[in-house]
Amino acid sequence: MKRLAFLVWTLVALSTTGASAQCNSEALSNQCIPKLAAGFNFLKSYKIDGEGGSKDKVEYSYVFTKGTQYMINICAPNQPTDGIVVTLYDSNRNKVATSKVNGQYISAIAYPCNATGIYYIQYTFDGSSTYCGGSALGFKR
Amino acid sequence: MKKLSAVLIATALAACGSEKKTDEQAFMETLDTAQNAGPTISEAVIGDILQQIPSPLEIAVLLKESGKKYNASLLNSPDNLPKYNSNYQKALNLGIYGADLGYTNIYEQNQDGIKYISTIKSLADGLNIGQFFDIETIGRLATNSKNLDSLLLITTQNFNSINHYLQTQGRANLSVLLLTGGWIEAVHIMCSVAAQDPTNKVLQEKIGEQKVILENILLLLSFYKEKDQNMAALLQDMQELKNIFDRVNITYTYKESTFEVVNGVMVIKDNSTTTIDITPQDVTDIRSSIINIRNKIIS
Repeated sequence: MKRLAFLVWTLVALSTTGASAQCNSEALSNQCIPKLAAGFNFLKSYKIDGEGGSKDKVEYSYVFTKGTQYMINICAPNQPTDGIVVTLYDSNRNKVATSKVNGQYISAIAYPCNATGIYYIQYTFDGSSTYCGGSALGFKR
Repeated sequence: MKKLSAVLIATALAACGSEKKTDEQAFMETLDTAQNAGPTISEAVIGDILQQIPSPLEIAVLLKESGKKYNASLLNSPDNLPKYNSNYQKALNLGIYGADLGYTNIYEQNQDGIKYISTIKSLADGLNIGQFFDIETIGRLATNSKNLDSLLLITTQNFNSINHYLQTQGRANLSVLLLTGGWIEAVHIMCSVAAQDPTNKVLQEKIGEQKVILENILLLLSFYKEKDQNMAALLQDMQELKNIFDRVNITYTYKESTFEVVNGVMVIKDNSTTTIDITPQDVTDIRSSIINIRNKIIS
């Protein structure tokens, strides 16, 4: 009987923990939209859900065009970025930009594009406590 | 206590059981969808390619920033709405009207914009996605040009939500058509403006770089060619457009970028370049092909 009660308690506890640990990446990506700098038009919002650490990266892609300036920002629940790093790669997987520099996590990248093509927007977790965040992409000419 | 334990276990088992049944139902529904009109590749791959397609808004902003005047005659008339009866027509023209709305918004042509909002809402309702188009808010914002930023934001969000919803509902084919329609309209507007300004190199290059996006659209349409005759026919027309774009050469040179942090923002200096070789004749031929494709869609 004690074993049975323990089993039931465990089931209830696990379901409760799961609910509280859920990543509301949609809300965080929505929070990021008004944080795009003035003059930038919103294009996309991206959910960053590392599923509690089981995923080491989250990736999206977009065609950037020459002559357009793009901004990508990051929002996280606790600190400005909570160790979330955004790295931009070109279509040949050459690194174009990263938001971590000299151990510092920057919450926004401005990228004046000089070469049209498909770019990969990759989010990684560097010592993140929540593995959860959101991001927005904007553009201006 | 025994009774309480029994109730808890029964509840837990019932919950697990219903969960399993839902999964099975969802799986069976997926099979049905695949048999009827599904693609030959996973929806996740399609979603990955779809998200790359740029917004037509970027082209509208380019035109306005380069001093080009607003020209309503370039757009698809809202009066054409009754012509669109099938889901294929509705989805393609929803994309076209969406691009037109972006163009009117960027140029702050509120009276024209309101007509497009109403047209878009009708088409979206016809595709059972009208719930994502907040016509009241958009209509209110459109009556005042001071609300331009909010208007652009909410319309972009609405179209993003529609695309996301269609993909999660196994209706990514409509999402492909919506984005294809938007792209065709944006290229049509750009080519028409370029025809009036044949020495404008920036516009010509902008047209040339559409080759990158066209390749993605062709790939997306090809996934449906076996199961959807309309999409197969559209693919064939777009393939003819690609034959012209094949004459355009895009040369990419990678050079490591540099950066500086300004007011908490990392500002990148992109040292890579692309050169786009396109002739005025290529632009003329692209325009002619786009007009043919568009006429089939909007007529």
